Amino acid sequence: MGDSRKANSGDMERLVKASQAGHREAFDELVRLYQQRAMQVAVRILGEANEAAEAVQTGFVRAYLSIGKLKEPKRFEFWLLRIVANAAISQVRAAKRRAEKVRIADHYKDKKTPSPVERQRAEELKEAITRAMLKLSKREAKAISLSGLEDLSQGEVAEIMGCSVGAVKWHVFNARKKLKVLLKEYLE
Amino acid sequence: MKEERENIDLLLERNADEQLSKVDWQRLNAAISSRLDKASRSKTVATKFPTVFKIAAGVAAAAAVILIVMIIRTDRAPDFQLENGRRAVVKFIEAKGSASVEIGHAPAKSQVMVDVGPSQSKLARCDIEIIDANGDLKQKANRATWIIISRPEPVYADNGVSRDSMDMICLF
Repeated sequence: MGDSRKANSGDMERLVKASQAGHREAFDELVRLYQQRAMQVAVRILGEANEAAEAVQTGFVRAYLSIGKLKEPKRFEFWLLRIVANAAISQVRAAKRRAEKVRIADHYKDKKTPSPVERQRAEELKEAITRAMLKLSKREAKAISLSGLEDLSQGEVAEIMGCSVGAVKWHVFNARKKLKVLLKEYLE
Repeated sequence: MKEERENIDLLLERNADEQLSKVDWQRLNAAISSRLDKASRSKTVATKFPTVFKIAAGVAAAAAVILIVMIIRTDRAPDFQLENGRRAVVKFIEAKGSASVEIGHAPAKSQVMVDVGPSQSKLARCDIEIIDANGDLKQKANRATWIIISRPEPVYADNGVSRDSMDMICLF
């Protein structure tokens, strides 16, 4: 699944500093290293791969254009994830409008296809989650999505969201409460 | 409760995994790269021609300042000489046909005379508010009850202060 290499802190700082100095190849390397991470965040917020890919692209472009402003290169990952999460949140409403108009072509999907029943179930779940996420507040959507990421502590989620750990817990609690109602037919 | 929580998390995770398993990472990488190329080109243009951008921004800023100054000058109320030697500034608020009078020391009664030219045929009445030039707005007594304006044109037509002059009697 993608490029699962995880940059060590030294590599990452070096790449960020090189990107800040205007080396495009360095930023391309950061993209390769973090696109999967970025997709994990965006998919959890948007519930759908195509829309998530769009948000990730937007996020990387924003990061590229403003990387010079990043004061602490070692915080790059959290900084990037915040940008991607914001891009995904902005896209939530637009995604809803687009989904109503056209069925998006499976542009970013590969050829592997599961059985029709599995596919239909997965499709239903995807749509239900996308709809449910729309019912959450921005902060709730961000909190529940980021908290679901492995190896991201609540403190780190709080840093990405720019709020306290207590606030993260509160938003996650509320999000779960709402999702429990909205997705009850999918909960076993 | 804990079980429900875990179920919701599992559901979200299942969907995320399902979606992520379908992603063509190379294609995504190429798409990001293409978007970065475009962004890079725009960035380069802005960096290469900073002088042009600065000049353009300067021209826009200057135009904005000129526009603001013109608006302020147009709206600026004329000074009027009060009969007791003091001065008043009168602002006409066109839409409501009312006026604000700004004077240094509000007298109990005052009259403002303004040259309106040869023909004076119309009388108008509207509320005014005195604004003490020294900033003392605490006293409600400073609020005027009415004003009479004598002018040659229909009262509510166009009483822009920049072009019309008129006679007024202010009672405070």
